[in-house]
Amino acid sequence: MKPKDMKEPEYNQRLEQDILQALKNPSPFYWVAVFTCASFFAIGLLTWLYQMLKGMGVAGINNPVGWGVYITDFVFWVGIAHSGTLISAVLFLFRAKFRNVFNRSAEAMTVFAVMTAGLYPLIHLGRSWFFYWLFPYPNQRQLWVNFQSPLIWDVFAVSTYFTISAIFWYVGMVPDVAIVRRYASGIGKKIYSILSLGWSGSKRQWRHYTRLYIFLAAFATPLVISVHSVVSWDFAMSIIPGWHTTIFAPYFVAGAIFSGTAMVLTLVIPMMKIFRLERYITVDHFDKIAKVLLFTSLIVTYSYLVEFSLAFYGGHKFEESHFLYRLLGDYRYLYWTMLFCNSLFPLTLFIRRLRRSIAFLFIMSLFVNVGMWLERFVIIVSALAKDFDPYNWGIYIPRWPEVAITLGSFGMFFMFFLIFTKVLPVLAITEIKEEAVE
Amino acid sequence: MKINYSFDEKRKFLAKLEELVKSGIAREKINVFTPYPVHEAEELLKIKNSPLRFFTLFGALSGLLFGFFFTIWTSLDWPLIRGGKPIVSIPAYIIVAFELTILFGGVISFIGFLLLSGLPSAGKIAAPEDYGNQFVIHIENEGEK
Repeated sequence: MKPKDMKEPEYNQRLEQDILQALKNPSPFYWVAVFTCASFFAIGLLTWLYQMLKGMGVAGINNPVGWGVYITDFVFWVGIAHSGTLISAVLFLFRAKFRNVFNRSAEAMTVFAVMTAGLYPLIHLGRSWFFYWLFPYPNQRQLWVNFQSPLIWDVFAVSTYFTISAIFWYVGMVPDVAIVRRYASGIGKKIYSILSLGWSGSKRQWRHYTRLYIFLAAFATPLVISVHSVVSWDFAMSIIPGWHTTIFAPYFVAGAIFSGTAMVLTLVIPMMKIFRLERYITVDHFDKIAKVLLFTSLIVTYSYLVEFSLAFYGGHKFEESHFLYRLLGDYRYLYWTMLFCNSLFPLTLFIRRLRRSIAFLFIMSLFVNVGMWLERFVIIVSALAKDFDPYNWGIYIPRWPEVAITLGSFGMFFMFFLIFTKVLPVLAITEIKEEAVE
Repeated sequence: MKINYSFDEKRKFLAKLEELVKSGIAREKINVFTPYPVHEAEELLKIKNSPLRFFTLFGALSGLLFGFFFTIWTSLDWPLIRGGKPIVSIPAYIIVAFELTILFGGVISFIGFLLLSGLPSAGKIAAPEDYGNQFVIHIENEGEK
């Protein structure tokens, strides 16, 4: 934040220097981090190759549990993406100024998380090289895709989400890239010049730019709600007990924003410490984002209660027995851990002092990440493990390829994020300048 | 562009801009460059609402129509009864049409923005016009007030 006694030009100058400092000279620690993430990513890719060569049998998924860790990961990563859009678009429309310090990294996170998520349906396909069959295109057999299938809705929702998020991220960055261009030299200057599209900040450019930004935010807001609703319908449109419920769409959207907000904290806290951005990302900002986390945690907890109430109020025997199984069955420890991470532990955020403790928030964010991953795992696996027919019951335990590919996806995500912090401005410089004089 | 006022603070820039506008210089001839959007300057210069909204509306409507047209046409092109549902199942197609509304609306808005603001500009990519943190006022053809 701008100190009161500081003049605008000095502040702007210092702001640019501080943020561009982050782009300079990567430390050995940075290279170690990138290398570690890249190694995980490479292991994930090799495992995927192994799975393609050997067949899906190497994974633990079986009959009846045909959807396991891969679909869990898919839902997890799509969910992570959501709070990026919430912070950048929804909070923008609500004029919540505290978003300005988070939006750039949150948007980057969105784009990378959707990229990661998009791999999972392909990994899960088995014959990944036929992924394009999911798209409607004129083919020899004159067949079209089934537009009544939630999986095809997913194709449209996720690819639209990726496109719009990437455009939104890029558009928000154009004026800032023009600032980086000023300080860069050599080949870097050329690249930033092209990326900035020749931005000069004229009245004509700002006039259309500010409109475009509002329109994109207005598109992204309903989009974010629709995307996770569609993801939840992958489950809810079936008749499996535990999946077939009307609360799924809002429940998944809230869960997505909850997990994504936690991931923003996981990424931004180390970034702030390493690049010494404490001057801009203050405790007040974290306090506000912690309130978002607490609020969404309460919605998620409420959804857990509603889910159980509906099952028991509905008088549907299979539904009842499924929810008892979820609470007390084979996956009970995972379910209890999830309840602790998502519902109980976040209640501590009612305490102001804990909301304002950066270290505590970081630990909290890790717990929530784990809890939300488990939530998806429990919903997907426990519902399939015990459905209607006892003859068709079974247990699912992930095998090493699933673990390796999951770790690989984390490697990919963090690797992209690390590269982002060194090549693009991590804070929205222009918006912080604008806010400072108000 | 002869006259070139340059300020390092928004406050001073706005004061000068107001003075220039009051002195009777045609508003269209004043061009300003700012490090961030300045709404007060837009008001002083009476800048009209951007026509970008027509691109957005056109994009969104075309996405919506295309979404319904495409799903309905492909279903009729090779009719397959799935799950005992009607061949043309509008509720299911609403979702595809909704996503395409947003996709087309967003992409066409972006293209509209590029067209309207003259970006990307090859000349300015080669030789960037950059005023740093300065608020700059240019007046075209000084003397022709």
